[in-house]
Amino acid sequence: MMGTEVIKLIIGIGDTLVGRLLLYDSLRMSFKDVKVRRNPGCELCGDSPTLTELVDYEAFCSVDLPSAEPEQDNVAFEISGPELKKVLDTGRPVTLLDVREPHEWEINRIDRAQLTPLSQFESFIPKLNPEDEIYLYCYKGKRSMTALKKLQDHGFQQLKSLSGGIDGWAEQVEPSMPRY
Amino acid sequence: MESKLSSDEIQRYSRHLVLPEVGMAGQEKLKAAKVLLIGAGGLGSPLGLYLGAAGVGTLGIMDDDVVDVTNLQRQVAHSTPNVGRPKVDSMRERIEEINPEVKVETYDVRLSRDNAPEIFAKYDIVVDGSDNFETRYLVNDAAFFAGIPLVYGSIFRFEGQISVFDPKRGGPCYRCLYSNPPPAALVPN
Repeated sequence: MMGTEVIKLIIGIGDTLVGRLLLYDSLRMSFKDVKVRRNPGCELCGDSPTLTELVDYEAFCSVDLPSAEPEQDNVAFEISGPELKKVLDTGRPVTLLDVREPHEWEINRIDRAQLTPLSQFESFIPKLNPEDEIYLYCYKGKRSMTALKKLQDHGFQQLKSLSGGIDGWAEQVEPSMPRY
Repeated sequence: MESKLSSDEIQRYSRHLVLPEVGMAGQEKLKAAKVLLIGAGGLGSPLGLYLGAAGVGTLGIMDDDVVDVTNLQRQVAHSTPNVGRPKVDSMRERIEEINPEVKVETYDVRLSRDNAPEIFAKYDIVVDGSDNFETRYLVNDAAFFAGIPLVYGSIFRFEGQISVFDPKRGGPCYRCLYSNPPPAALVPN
């Protein structure tokens, strides 16, 4: 469709998508055609533009949510793949939680882990014991930290999140594990 | 009658030439056109192949990435033996195989505010097949300053959106639609 638009613009035929946004949902197989008007207040192409040259786009796009917490706060609650391997190898009774979603669990998982998807994490919390030593992991280490904070809010204390997630684990600890 | 198309080209594009909306005049416009593709990934792959096959005379391809095995399931310009090679090289070879009449210019660099003005000045149309907001805003602004239309598309999972931004013809730009990027924490990586 983008290609057709290019060709129409070059040859000068048909009606292009200038002034329209076409939305496509391939699961419902539906198309929506939304009118987009020129914004007279647009910083770039409006009536009194304030942007007169290219800017720093990384800075422009790196605006964070005010609630986002700095990453260094998290480091104390992280454990590396090799460290986690050592813990698991001792054979002591620890709880290992995989907070990814079921379709990811189907692809790969760490032995001894139990599936507690972040999307339903609250429902698993009452089943966990605050006295236990709990390790959490996800794909890259972000969701497991979110889950860890939820457990902290419920008074859990012995918590670690696997830094780099199962993807880092596959790379550093278990090279035979399939990656995605 | 003198034609800007060779006999070989007339034969190659005959299924275009018999369409009254295209014809010889349209095909000659395609041959004279210079189109810049930003990104040789999921969107850029089919675009490059289709535009090259259709006879766009000059195709610029910009991407600083190399082919990864996880790209192959959707980035159809790249093939298994090309894993590890620059995407622009992989795509240039594929387009030249399909249509040797096309002049392919490759840019194995990331688009930046420094290189954008000079590169955009060489093209009539830019097509954004990038996968991040920094590049999308940069492409929009650079296209505006260069005075060329921008064909925009983006995909997330099963949903896509397409538009053409052409403020020079009275249309809106990407910033008219989205004046600010989403907060970084909400951007899927």
